[in-house]
Amino acid sequence: MIPRPVSRRTALKGLGVSVALPWLEAMGPVTGWAAGADTRNPAPNRMCFLYVPNGKNMADWTPKAEGKGFDLPAILQPLKGVQDELLVLTGLTADKARAHGDGGGDHARALGAFLTGSQPKKTDGTDIRAGISVDQVAATRLADKTRLPSLELGGEHGAMAGNCDSGYSCVYSSTMSWRSATQPLPKEVNPKIVFERLFATKPNAERLAQDARRKSILDFVRDDSKELEQKLGANDKRKLSEYFSALRDLELRIERAEKLPPVKTPDYKTPAGIPANYEEHIRLQYDLIALAFQTDVTRVVTFVLANEGSNKTYPMAGVNEAHHELSHHGNDPAKKAKIRDINTFHTSQLAYFLEKLKGMKEGDGTLLDHSMIAYGSGNSDGNAHNHDDLPILVAGKGCGTFRTGRHIRYAKETPLNNLWISMLDRMDIKVASLGDSTGQLRDLT
Amino acid sequence: MRLFCQFVLLTSSIIAVVIAQCTPVAVVAQPKAAPGFKTDGVAFLKQHCVKCHAGEKPKADLALDRFADEAAILKDRKTWQRVLDVLKAGEMPPPSRPQPTVGETEAFTKIIGDLFEQHDRTAKPDPGRVTMRRLNRNEYNYTIRDLIGIDFNPAEDFPSDDVGHGFDNIGDVLTLPPVLLERYLAAAETVMQKAITPNPPKTPVRGIGTQFTEPASANVPMKNGFRVVLFKPDGTPVETGPIFTRYKVPEDGEYIARATVFAETKGTKPVKVALLAGCAPDAKGVATDAEAEQLAGAAVKSLRPFMVLKTFEVKGRTEKMTDALQADIPAGIAFEKLAVALVKPEEGEPAPTLYVKYISLEGPRDMRPPSHRKLLTCDPKKTPAEQTREVLERFTLRAFRRPIEKVELDRLVQLADRELAKGEKWESAIQFAMTAALVSPKFLFRIELDDRPNSPEPRAIDEYQLASRLSYFLWSSMPDDELFELARKKQLTANLELQVKRMLRDPKAAAITEHFVTQWLQMQPLRNSRPDPTRFPQFDERLRSAMVQETKLFFNEIIREDRSVLDVLNADFTYLNSALARHYGITDTAGNTVGQNAKTRKPGGQPIRGDQFVRVNLGGSVRGGVLTQASILTVTSNPGRTSPVKRGRWVLEQLLGTPPPPPPPDVPELEKDGKPVTVGTLRQQMEAHRQNPACANCHAKMDGLGFGLENFDAIGAFRTKDGDAAIDSSGELPGGVTFAGPAELKQVLLAKKDLYVKCLTEKLLTYALGRGLEYYDRRSVEKIAAATAKNNYRFSALVSELVQSDPFRLRRGTNP
Repeated sequence: MIPRPVSRRTALKGLGVSVALPWLEAMGPVTGWAAGADTRNPAPNRMCFLYVPNGKNMADWTPKAEGKGFDLPAILQPLKGVQDELLVLTGLTADKARAHGDGGGDHARALGAFLTGSQPKKTDGTDIRAGISVDQVAATRLADKTRLPSLELGGEHGAMAGNCDSGYSCVYSSTMSWRSATQPLPKEVNPKIVFERLFATKPNAERLAQDARRKSILDFVRDDSKELEQKLGANDKRKLSEYFSALRDLELRIERAEKLPPVKTPDYKTPAGIPANYEEHIRLQYDLIALAFQTDVTRVVTFVLANEGSNKTYPMAGVNEAHHELSHHGNDPAKKAKIRDINTFHTSQLAYFLEKLKGMKEGDGTLLDHSMIAYGSGNSDGNAHNHDDLPILVAGKGCGTFRTGRHIRYAKETPLNNLWISMLDRMDIKVASLGDSTGQLRDLT
Repeated sequence: MRLFCQFVLLTSSIIAVVIAQCTPVAVVAQPKAAPGFKTDGVAFLKQHCVKCHAGEKPKADLALDRFADEAAILKDRKTWQRVLDVLKAGEMPPPSRPQPTVGETEAFTKIIGDLFEQHDRTAKPDPGRVTMRRLNRNEYNYTIRDLIGIDFNPAEDFPSDDVGHGFDNIGDVLTLPPVLLERYLAAAETVMQKAITPNPPKTPVRGIGTQFTEPASANVPMKNGFRVVLFKPDGTPVETGPIFTRYKVPEDGEYIARATVFAETKGTKPVKVALLAGCAPDAKGVATDAEAEQLAGAAVKSLRPFMVLKTFEVKGRTEKMTDALQADIPAGIAFEKLAVALVKPEEGEPAPTLYVKYISLEGPRDMRPPSHRKLLTCDPKKTPAEQTREVLERFTLRAFRRPIEKVELDRLVQLADRELAKGEKWESAIQFAMTAALVSPKFLFRIELDDRPNSPEPRAIDEYQLASRLSYFLWSSMPDDELFELARKKQLTANLELQVKRMLRDPKAAAITEHFVTQWLQMQPLRNSRPDPTRFPQFDERLRSAMVQETKLFFNEIIREDRSVLDVLNADFTYLNSALARHYGITDTAGNTVGQNAKTRKPGGQPIRGDQFVRVNLGGSVRGGVLTQASILTVTSNPGRTSPVKRGRWVLEQLLGTPPPPPPPDVPELEKDGKPVTVGTLRQQMEAHRQNPACANCHAKMDGLGFGLENFDAIGAFRTKDGDAAIDSSGELPGGVTFAGPAELKQVLLAKKDLYVKCLTEKLLTYALGRGLEYYDRRSVEKIAAATAKNNYRFSALVSELVQSDPFRLRRGTNP
């Protein structure tokens, strides 16, 4: 690895815990809109989807009052500083996470259906199927705008063994992004790799030379592999076409990179790997999302903070029991309190992220003003496994398209996907429907 | 009274809550003799299913009225398997509808099950077809190691592999997302950059002034920057020399030794000096006693072993007239020291004095890595164009694991030629072509090319394909030279059994433990498990890795020593280090325990010290077999307490191959009279809820097995009390089988060894083939299991039978 300037490294000690980061604004603009209010070149809108597993302690999540100046129950307390930037949305439903005759497996379905609005197929391997997810609809449309169409992050590795939830493949409970109904996108858990993917560490000329060589390799392997098809069975051909499709993707990415201005590598210490401390880990990932948005490497990010059904313990929040097992609290008040503590830990981290975005000036506002950060879970109460009345909030003004600082209560059974197509609309992406959506959410603007 | 059950089960690494809300057990009428589908089966369907699942628009697109007779059912096996699954799980009919009794459901599922079983026994054999398998992360690493000769974990940054049917090597399930291809490309570049260095760096020279050489002491005389080596001069008791310096050389290779010297003598004979190389005691050319005796200096003895590189006659007699000595150091001697020694003068000659200014080491002479030389070796008499073909043909044979066609080679040669035309060096051009080969699907996938991909006729795979199936099964890597050679001569099939034995003895066979066993036993979650530190403060990283290591070493012995696979259920040995021995309360290798009665002490035990694992005899101990190993006991527990349900379920799923049905939807809570049930011991709580017939039916099987392991706490330490209450580790299984304690539980399982061996066979066959098993594999599984039993359950018998089975050696086209 080529060493980069380390001018501010000293200031970065203890990074991701409490020290403020030297953001790029201090080093001059990275993008046209970062410089100041330029009406011809306004800052673009970004979307980010954050998923926390096993539902919430809903009594400590849902505000009692609606509209402006709503009350903040315990779990939302850490967000006090950014309350004016929030839209807490009550009453949304992920209907496709329900069994519909498929039996157990609410955790797998909760994440599988969360961004897709499609019923995940019950299988432990061979024929995985859900639907395209909202982030990938956006990524496909915005593909030529940024160096990476989208970024998929995680806070916990995918489970390694067999079926993860009542006959559902582990893919469902560990993956949020679906490029197509049959292609889940793996998430990157290691901040070091995320950083290297975001920011090319090679000088531009070297990178161009490498890209040219890579293109010629890709050309070769494609031509050299065509004739294989004749000697393959139907399933083999499917695998080969998966290979060719990945190959095409890679070629497109290289071609795009040639046309886009080079990305300026931020003065940010390359993360060393996955920190042992979970809080540090997810804050690093949050930092990288902020950097990715700020440098406009991508405008679409998903982040699964922990896998659905995760059995993580949270000793930093005083919880030494496994999350998923606790979530089946059987209405035991002690267990419910611990669930609340886990939920509150996560909203504290969210507050860290939102405040970070809010502190980053961009054009006529802040990065948070130009973002839509959706946060929530596909399970409501972890004990009941219900998928209506989900804990959902959106932060950020979405380039002035959200009237924030409110708690809105929607009619029962309003599809969660209505929120997603409302967000797509605010990225100038018009779709008639996505998954089980029935129309845009009212009253957001 | 309402009673609900809330029990947590292991589904794999993630835990799913499973509440068994089973159909109440009712009094069942004896089924009529020989019930058939057309009578009893159709009656059941009519009563319970076809109200919804029939007609033009059946619910869930499932029309059961289409199936009029047995032939129709046999034709649509997938549908009926699903029907059986939902019925057994109690998912259908939905709760809103009248429910069949358990007896009625069982009778119906038996009719359908028997129908399939009877059909399978007489049907035409079907070896199935494996979908081409992408190399998973481990296979990629090992294959690069064996192909290139560099072991450095290039797959570290790859996303984790998808898992299906319990394993991460299933062809249908392993996907190739764009980000992975990007990593493959980057990894191929890195690998080939390490493997071939077209522009080797200049050979480094490392010199040292003699003031810094050894032996170092204030007494060692220096003169004008020269080290003075004296040989018993008059009036001086000191005999200095030889002088030497140590070198740490990065890799084996040829080096050049140099020294700058002159000598003074009053005699007439030439002064002789030797350059020495410190080397391994068994290096070729190591100095004999006689040779060493020729050399002068007090340090000669301590310098050994060394070899005399060369002896010189020193001509230079002044500081201005020095001699530059030079000698070659051969490769392969484990070179570590360079020394200059005075050769003893002839009898009667006066003592000479040697002056040494400078010692230096140049090398390695060839700065190209060994992989470079190995990959680019070619016939020097050939033209460059022919050399390109030779090198690329040899590489692709191994990388693609088959001989390549002429057109394929032509294309790859063209790619290299284009680089040459651009003015690149030959080495760079080859490097580029090899990089491309490592990104080709021919390398990344294990493709079994087939001239008749659509023909349903079973036929043998070819010998190269067989070599790959064998090597990826037993080594998780590519075939070695011997397998390739047998495949070339078409003699592999004829030598299968011998090859299996050879391969299992190879250290690479540890891949079976590393990748098959850890997945089969579902040990991976142990890496992330966090036992409650307040309850288990003794659990730390050392103990965690010791737990994993114990199970791995245990299996390695089963494989290496070709032991019985029944050892898995109960064995009289294990491997422990001090941390784990302390955890188990075991004090020595004879298996004696803390606080043991002196009369029962077994003799001959050695204490277990340090991190090193030693084999421990467990004869007569409560431990023995995987069920009593801390690794398994911990992964089947909750962070704060044991979970008999998880343990029972683990036994049913992983050892007996009889998984309980998946949990029904709409899980009720564990409460009584509106209040959560939290009082009493764990066992009391569980038994309370099992009094509810709704729960009893499903939990009886799991809980009973799990109770038998209650003597082991949530991290596998032995205990006789849970809090203040005494542990009751007795259990009862359906069918009235009772047992008391872990030892008897193991006997119960050993009595079911047929089930166990069948289960192990199924898991191993799934892993070996890289596909989920189908109904038509049943006969092969039974045959392999039976033959294994006949051969005293030896591990090698299991593997030999497996690799000779139809699904392993044969295949058919996709659409039979």
